[in-house]
Amino acid sequence: MPGLDVIVNALISGLLLGGMLALTALGLSIILGVMRLVNLAHGEFLVAGAYAGLFLLQRTGIDPLVGLLLIGLILALIGYPIYRFLLAPLAGKGSEAAMMTMFGLSIILQNLFVLLFSADTRAIERDYATIPLMLGPISVPQIYVIGFAISVALIMAVHVLIARSRFGSELRASADQPLAAAIIGVNVSRVHALTFCLGTACAGIGGTLIGVALSFTPTSGATYLLTDFAVIVLGGLGNVLGTLVGGIVLGVLQSVGGLTLGDGYRDLVGLVLFLAMLQLRPQGFLGSRA
Amino acid sequence: MSVLTTSVPERSLLLHHPFVRVALSGISFAALLAAPSFLPAYFVEIGFKLLLYIVLAEAWNLLAGYCGLVSLGSSSFFGLGAYVTVGLLNHTGSGIGLALAASALVAMTLALAMSRGLFRLRGLYFTVGTLALAEALRLLVVNVPWFGGATGLFVSADLPDVTELFRDAALLLVVASLVMTLATGSRFSVLLRAVRDDEDAASQVGVRAFRVKLAAFMVASALIAIAGGLQAIKLGAIEPYGSFGLQWSVDPLAIVIIGGLGMRFGAIVGAIFFVAIGELLADYPELHVAITGIILIILIRCAPRGLCGLLETALRRTGPTKVASS
Amino acid sequence: MNAADPPPLLDAVGLGKRYGGLVAIESLDIRLDKGRVLGVIGPNGAGKSTLIGLLGGAISASAGQIHFDGHDITSLPASERARSGIGRTYQIPRPFLDMTVEENLAVAQFSLSPFVASGTAAAERREILDRCGLGDAAPVTARDLPLLRRKRLEVARALALKPKLLLLDEVGAGLIDSEVSELIALIQSLKDAERSIIIIEHVIRIVKECCDDLMVINFGKVLARGPTTDVLGSDEVAAIYLGTSHGAAARTSTAVAPRADVASSMASTEPLLALDGVSAGYGQARVLHDLSLSVMQGQVVGLLGSNGAGKTTVAHVISRALPITAGRIRFDGEDITRLPAHAVATRGLAHCMEGRRIFGSLSVEENLLVAARRADAAERKTRLERVYALFPVLADRRNAPGTSMSGGQQQALAIGRALMAKPRLVIFDEISLGLAPVMMDRLYAALAELKREGFTMLVVEQDIERALDLADVAHIINKGRITLSGPPAVLRADERLRHLYFGTEE
Repeated sequence: MPGLDVIVNALISGLLLGGMLALTALGLSIILGVMRLVNLAHGEFLVAGAYAGLFLLQRTGIDPLVGLLLIGLILALIGYPIYRFLLAPLAGKGSEAAMMTMFGLSIILQNLFVLLFSADTRAIERDYATIPLMLGPISVPQIYVIGFAISVALIMAVHVLIARSRFGSELRASADQPLAAAIIGVNVSRVHALTFCLGTACAGIGGTLIGVALSFTPTSGATYLLTDFAVIVLGGLGNVLGTLVGGIVLGVLQSVGGLTLGDGYRDLVGLVLFLAMLQLRPQGFLGSRA
Repeated sequence: MSVLTTSVPERSLLLHHPFVRVALSGISFAALLAAPSFLPAYFVEIGFKLLLYIVLAEAWNLLAGYCGLVSLGSSSFFGLGAYVTVGLLNHTGSGIGLALAASALVAMTLALAMSRGLFRLRGLYFTVGTLALAEALRLLVVNVPWFGGATGLFVSADLPDVTELFRDAALLLVVASLVMTLATGSRFSVLLRAVRDDEDAASQVGVRAFRVKLAAFMVASALIAIAGGLQAIKLGAIEPYGSFGLQWSVDPLAIVIIGGLGMRFGAIVGAIFFVAIGELLADYPELHVAITGIILIILIRCAPRGLCGLLETALRRTGPTKVASS
Repeated sequence: MNAADPPPLLDAVGLGKRYGGLVAIESLDIRLDKGRVLGVIGPNGAGKSTLIGLLGGAISASAGQIHFDGHDITSLPASERARSGIGRTYQIPRPFLDMTVEENLAVAQFSLSPFVASGTAAAERREILDRCGLGDAAPVTARDLPLLRRKRLEVARALALKPKLLLLDEVGAGLIDSEVSELIALIQSLKDAERSIIIIEHVIRIVKECCDDLMVINFGKVLARGPTTDVLGSDEVAAIYLGTSHGAAARTSTAVAPRADVASSMASTEPLLALDGVSAGYGQARVLHDLSLSVMQGQVVGLLGSNGAGKTTVAHVISRALPITAGRIRFDGEDITRLPAHAVATRGLAHCMEGRRIFGSLSVEENLLVAARRADAAERKTRLERVYALFPVLADRRNAPGTSMSGGQQQALAIGRALMAKPRLVIFDEISLGLAPVMMDRLYAALAELKREGFTMLVVEQDIERALDLADVAHIINKGRITLSGPPAVLRADERLRHLYFGTEE
């Protein structure tokens, strides 16, 4: 039986990591909620963000935390042509075609990563990734705290954007009733393009943070895709603050799973939870919105 | 491929006569069984791979093409089949046939157990659910020491050579073909396609949609599990990242979309194309997968019915037969 | 119950269905004996299709019990109800598109009896197809059938179940007269001592000629029931069909006179909106045929017609929610035929859509403001106050989620939202749909006020009297064509108006 301080430490790291998970899940959630698109390439956007952080540091020496917004911008710029040339032409062809296209993209990106960057496990190495932050008996790596703070701040920013801004009301209107939104003058295609870019940016920034805090490989994406789905199920689709709560809950549960069953069970906890939720909620996770 | 033989289409060639078709199928399968005796070893290897892929693709086509269940969880049943087969071979000393049959049974049980939850998810969410199932199983096998953990297990029993495995795979293909013939050309196929086209409308004319989907799901899972078992015997070893690898979910999907979703020969055409490209790019496996992805995106956009669909359109355009539309 | 009477085939008691706060069907009782044909009529949104769903099992009831053929089927799923002998059709046909017509029927046969001899099954299919006028279409893929034949296929597929009870959901909508006659002959041929039929219908002729009994429902409740001729003869039913203000009391004309200055300027200038030879449809079903229509600046134009006549389709093609297959649409002199919907909106054309389409995740005030995004803050405030003055209830509920309000309040919100863009022309599509008369009065009072201010409006409406009270000129649309036009007074006097509505024209 681990000591109390170990347990508290694990719970707190779970909570902090959960915040970062929530940021990545937000990217998946808004694309699903607004565009009704299951973005199967979501995990690869996350990994792309991690590589972007890594190479930004290696090539230019810019600290990934300083360059976070730049990374978000890069991912958004990658996202736009994908929407414009791969997804927009499929409008009206059913949601399956778009999902399969993103699946095709996911395997392309995954193997492109291997070809370009090798299959090695990478980590963005920074001092703050290893130096612990001490507070009494609690000791967690600094990046956990920094990453959590940044994630929460960004999630709040997205929340304010969606709840308060003009673009936010256009986004919610397009998600509720695309046709009615177009009829009152909302350019729904533009809203979708921006939503997709916002989603890839969230995934990318979250990916960088995770790349510093943990490590990643070209094929890490699939696990994060599923973990993020579990977060959405817990938090409710289209609910920005719920995503944060869902991320934190999942992060803590993963830590509990890791503590009680062994570290390898961390990811399994999320998946089992996800499958169990599906059994319990017949309407699936789209049921939260009418 | 009309089930109702009352109306024989005008363009019914000799090829379409049922007896001719049975005879042709019989001859091709006999040739298939005899093939390893005179084929060079390299082609037997490729042939085994091809047969396995055709079986996996047929099973996936049954689900997605004829039942509307787009699955990304083939690897769960593939891996399950591999582990059950190896486990039985190692621990009970049972024969290969028995082990494979048992793995099919276990796969059907898992399919049955998961069906209640998975079938509640319609469309895209079913896909995500199956993906989660595959990932969960893989992580379970990695972590439970009993299954050999991340390093996996070796088969301790004596292994048959590739010639015999080729024949086993050919037999499995015969079974898969029979299943597909049933699924595309029997009364059951009418129910299956009704559920795919409009599940609610099908219920309103008395179709028990859940049972129909369950039957397809269980049969497909059994086929995939046996294929997984065969692959495990072929390799002589199993490990979670290989047996439960995402590629076993991805490849059948890619093959069927390339060949033609819901087309009777989609799996075969797609598998030949896929394996050929794979052999051409044998030294660059990543490039192979990336190119597959590109082909997928292009086909989804431009030819949703795959190569078979393109072929059919081309034949229709050139052929003298008039098409019975309007 | 008298012991000598056989129990009814169908006995539904206290049937109810609510969607959140919205009541679609409220404590409704239906008893139907073997061999009887019951008609159900009522205006759009009265709950008719919900009733079919409840009986067929596609919709689960919130209250009540259904007994069929002596068994309680309340909790049975649709497939089991179908197997026990309830066959239904869909209002919008839903054939299995990728299967042949014959296979569509085989689905019902093989699901019911998988081992039936193929000869018997084939003979049955042939008999049903011949009877439904599809004898030549057996090998045709359902996707290639035109709308009318798809409707026949709906009936044929339901018959393949050999149902004891057949539910026909608006099979007559959108058919021309000769087709209606064929349909009536078909339904009459289906009547026998064993089979009962429930017909939900707008085409009164079908009801008149096929149904033994008739039930009128509105707002999910039964308004009248009895033998068909008695019910059809009652004034109450005529009032529901021709409009709730049809009664004598409403005759004190609330009509709004056209403004003199507008009327004089009309003759000279070009119309604000002009449709020229427009055809459109959904998939293979062609709904509008070579339709022309114009709206002058300051004019209120009424577009009237029964269900399925193509009114809403006209509204959709104008606001570019639906592409047209032929013709041209001009707005303020500019060709808008190829513009995307949002671009049309920014040119000052607002469309208050049928079914309200309120954004559920936006508050009432946000629903309004999102339509006025382009205006500056002060202007937005002015417009908002204008809408709140028109509908004070919206001001009271300004922070509530848009879809949390009652149907009438949501409709007020939809009207307000259309006005927020400060449009130059507003299309009001079926704003009276499914609303209580008192609420309709309120909404139409608001529209009358807008008219006095000189708003240009196209009012699409099923409720003839209300629309005629408001309009400067009205068009009757029937089967995708304008069949009657003129000033309200002239139309009111025209006998053809009533005939067009009841589907009794020769």
